[in-house]
Amino acid sequence: MSQTLPLKERYPPGDFAIWIIIYVELVTFGLLFLGYAFSRRGDIAMFNESQLMLNQTSGFINTLILVTSSYFVIKAVKSITSMSEESVAEANAKASKWLLLAIGCGVAFGLVKGSEFYHIFGAGINLSTNKFFMFYIMLTAFHFMHVMLGSFILFVIYKKTKRVGYSFGDYSGIETGASYWHMVDLLWIVLFPLVYIIR
Amino acid sequence: MKKYLELVWIILATLTLFAFLLGYLKIISTSFVAILLFTTFIKGQLVIDYFMGLKNVRLFYRLIPLVWLSIVIVLIGVAYYLPV
Repeated sequence: MSQTLPLKERYPPGDFAIWIIIYVELVTFGLLFLGYAFSRRGDIAMFNESQLMLNQTSGFINTLILVTSSYFVIKAVKSITSMSEESVAEANAKASKWLLLAIGCGVAFGLVKGSEFYHIFGAGINLSTNKFFMFYIMLTAFHFMHVMLGSFILFVIYKKTKRVGYSFGDYSGIETGASYWHMVDLLWIVLFPLVYIIR
Repeated sequence: MKKYLELVWIILATLTLFAFLLGYLKIISTSFVAILLFTTFIKGQLVIDYFMGLKNVRLFYRLIPLVWLSIVIVLIGVAYYLPV
């Protein structure tokens, strides 16, 4: 059965190297998630009390922002991968608009997260305040760095679409960048309920 | 069929709102945590299959993130429900 599948469907989209990075990132964050979950058992009252200082609305808005940005990114990818030889310029133009929206989401995420950090650090909280905030700062700051890198990658892809850089059958670059962005989204989907909601 | 990506986004946004309301209205309880973890798995699976585009690739590559997600969600549940 698998032999009848076209080659592009037998492997994940984009450059295979990005998938090695994605798998490593998933394991790294997975260990941090489990570190948080099992550390919580040591002092549940302190974790619950500290969690009350987080702004759940910020976490909710940022989750919406990221799932929406993922939608914009996949629309950009579909614009490119479904192009014909006659619609190259049109497909690149369409993809660039979706990517611009996704980059806007990345910036919005950064602003919301920045405001959250401003209040947390402004209240004198830091890595050594307690175990909850050590995990909170480590997880969210580490994830934030991934959002920033992802936004930069999307910007590079956006510039290429503006130059009509993707042609018929040549779209590995946009698929690679998109896969990284979706990973960032996937990580936040687990992080949000774990750190902000579950108590 | 053509609008499946829009449907995926709507489900993701709805489940996110559900999770937020559980926390915001402070109705999160022991039984709700299991439901919340299940909806988190659904959200992750949708991202993996439809946004990452792994639904139609060789099963091995699709299983890697799905197994990761399952293990993480189950162990978070174990950490929550196991008596201290």
